[in-house]
Amino acid sequence: MTTAKRAPYLQVFKTFLRNSLVREMTFRSNFVIQCISSLSWTVMNLGFYLLIFSHADQIGPDTGWGKYEFFVFLSTTMFINTFVQAFFMPNAQEFSELIRRGNLDFALLKPIDTQFLISLSKVEWSACANFMAAGVLFIFSVWQLMARPENPLSLSWFAIVLYLFYLACGVVILYSLMISLAATSIWLGRNQSLYNFWFYITNFARYPMEIYQQGWGLPLWFLFTFIVPVLVVVNVPARLMAQPVAETSPSTTFLAVFAVVATVGSFVASRWIFTRALLSYRSASS
Amino acid sequence: MRIMADSYARRSRSSDSYFRRNKDFQTSLNGAGLYQNPVISSNVVHVLVSLLGILSLCAGQLPTYNRLLMSLIEIKNLAKTYRVYQKKEGLGASLRGLFHREYREVQAVRGINLRVEQGEFVAFLGPNGAGKTTTLKLLSGVINPTEGSATVMGHIPWKRENPYRRRFALVMGQKNQLWWDLPAQESFRLHQQIYCVEPARFQRTLDELSELLDVGNLMKQPVRELSLGERMKMELIAALLHSPEVLFLDEPTIGLDVVAQHKIQQFLKFYQEKRKITILLTSHYMKDVAALCKRVVVINQGQIQYDGSLTGIVDQFSGHKIVTLQFGKDDSISGLERFGEVLEIQPPKAKIRIERTRVAKNLATILSDHSIEDVVVEDPPLEQVIAEVFAQVGGHEDQDNPDEHSRVMD
Ligand SMILES: Nc1ncnc2c1ncn2[C@@H]1O[C@H](COP(=O)(O)OP(=O)(O)OP(=O)(O)O)[C@@H](O)[C@H]1O
Ligand SMILES: [Mg+2]
Repeated sequence: MTTAKRAPYLQVFKTFLRNSLVREMTFRSNFVIQCISSLSWTVMNLGFYLLIFSHADQIGPDTGWGKYEFFVFLSTTMFINTFVQAFFMPNAQEFSELIRRGNLDFALLKPIDTQFLISLSKVEWSACANFMAAGVLFIFSVWQLMARPENPLSLSWFAIVLYLFYLACGVVILYSLMISLAATSIWLGRNQSLYNFWFYITNFARYPMEIYQQGWGLPLWFLFTFIVPVLVVVNVPARLMAQPVAETSPSTTFLAVFAVVATVGSFVASRWIFTRALLSYRSASS
Repeated sequence: MRIMADSYARRSRSSDSYFRRNKDFQTSLNGAGLYQNPVISSNVVHVLVSLLGILSLCAGQLPTYNRLLMSLIEIKNLAKTYRVYQKKEGLGASLRGLFHREYREVQAVRGINLRVEQGEFVAFLGPNGAGKTTTLKLLSGVINPTEGSATVMGHIPWKRENPYRRRFALVMGQKNQLWWDLPAQESFRLHQQIYCVEPARFQRTLDELSELLDVGNLMKQPVRELSLGERMKMELIAALLHSPEVLFLDEPTIGLDVVAQHKIQQFLKFYQEKRKITILLTSHYMKDVAALCKRVVVINQGQIQYDGSLTGIVDQFSGHKIVTLQFGKDDSISGLERFGEVLEIQPPKAKIRIERTRVAKNLATILSDHSIEDVVVEDPPLEQVIAEVFAQVGGHEDQDNPDEHSRVMD
């Protein structure tokens, strides 16, 4: 009847964006409250780190993570987290419910990639507030680094492109982790600990990896770098941006290359897990 | 009128799709290893099938060729077994269950064989838990079967190939797929994009469907504010927007009032007749079935118990006739028990249920013993017969043990 057609993924995604916006606007006060609550959490977080840096100039000796370097790190964390919160979090949370009530049926009927459909169909626009806050913090911190008298930061276009690229890699790694976790709810029937589990794991990703690189932190560092690569998510882009001196050091180069491998690996693994899990889907009886 | 024109256009366009379909068919055959015979290599078969295709092309009988090979829907020995965790009473048993789980196998579908031709409207009847929904889910590829095979339009449903998924739709009366907080039209637009329906065609179909179902003014209202019946109509529209060739309807009229039920029946009848699509429907409302389907498949405990016309059920399963007698004014109504079960006596009328084979003989006796003014012999009401059929235990082999289909295992 028709030649082999590919569903227009970009167009469908735009409709997801649009529909979600329409939905959030119908519950306007909820939207405002969400913006405010996530913003205040960010501000408290920031206050906490300001307090810490009133006690110390750096995180550990010779790590290069001074106050503003760390704030670049922090805003990088925020960028990546808001992305995940905006696009994947609402869907992953809903996924468990889709499984439990058998509504995944409809996603499986659609002539479009199921993983795409279920991981992007709801978008949380309120994450924009945090994204903008992260932007302000980022620009301010980078500007501080560039304006400081000794060893000022010089920003090249290449560094910016590299930063954006690794931001994207980080988002992909976290997405893969999240969708793999969500997929387990097909096997478990219900997985409400998803959110907690997610919090436990990503909590480790929120700090520079130098923190782990000594003593008994090493096993943790190994685990969260090579097995579940959440440590590279923020560390690689933040380090490239805030400590370009280290750009040429072998360890940074190694990490940068490894981050790409980890990104591809996580994504492939998540797709494999998702597809495997779908085979066990049993659709709640109706 | 517009539907007719459209369906005409569809058919003339669909001729080139037969080739594609047949190719799908070949690959599925080869994939299934049916032609792994060393003597007849798959190449030879390929050539033969192509030859056959060319021959029938010459004869201008492509549809016949297609049918020659297979029905639109073919189901062979399809079975689905669910493994369910056997929950125990009490806390102690629950704790023990953490370490040592007992599972039970529920055989939802137990070896179904069925062929459905293009353009048929088939009803699945069966008591709760018979396996109707499970069968529809298998055919739409939502779940994988435990055993057996099925093809719909040459595709294996649970492979979930996009070309297949573009050509059918599933509507479930108890689940909804529209975005709850948005007007239905937003969901429709999403469907248009996912199914790659051209905008002009989409608008035409949408106008047509909303006119037929009379919901034009509800398009802009959030779905959560619609009534059950209105929502069901929207679900139907959503499912039909991409003009599916095969439609699976699982209790589309559940919970609707008589008027809404009737409306949906009329719509389905009209739509099916114009578009000549193939529909499988399950419903517990006999009215739906009587109004829509010539062919009825009775499923009980995961097996097909009957396949034929609705009225045929009475012939096959009811061993009795209902005989209503009107007695003369001064005749005493007594002693009817020996002819059959007396259903009611309301002088001067009496109703008895008589075994089918003995109707003639008994009537003769009654007529000679009494002065009868009027006799009516009729079949028992359809619903009653169906209730009896449902009450019978499915497979004949385990008539004595109705619970046998759920084996307990570790
Ligand atoms: N996801 C599931 N997990 C476990 N058992 C299931 C599941 N789905 C269905 N079953 C079992 O399979 C059997 C058939 O269920 P199915 O939903 O197909 O029945 P049905 O004919 O549609 O009944 P109804 O008329 O009540 O809708 C039932 O015994 C049910 O308990
Ligand atoms: Mg059902």
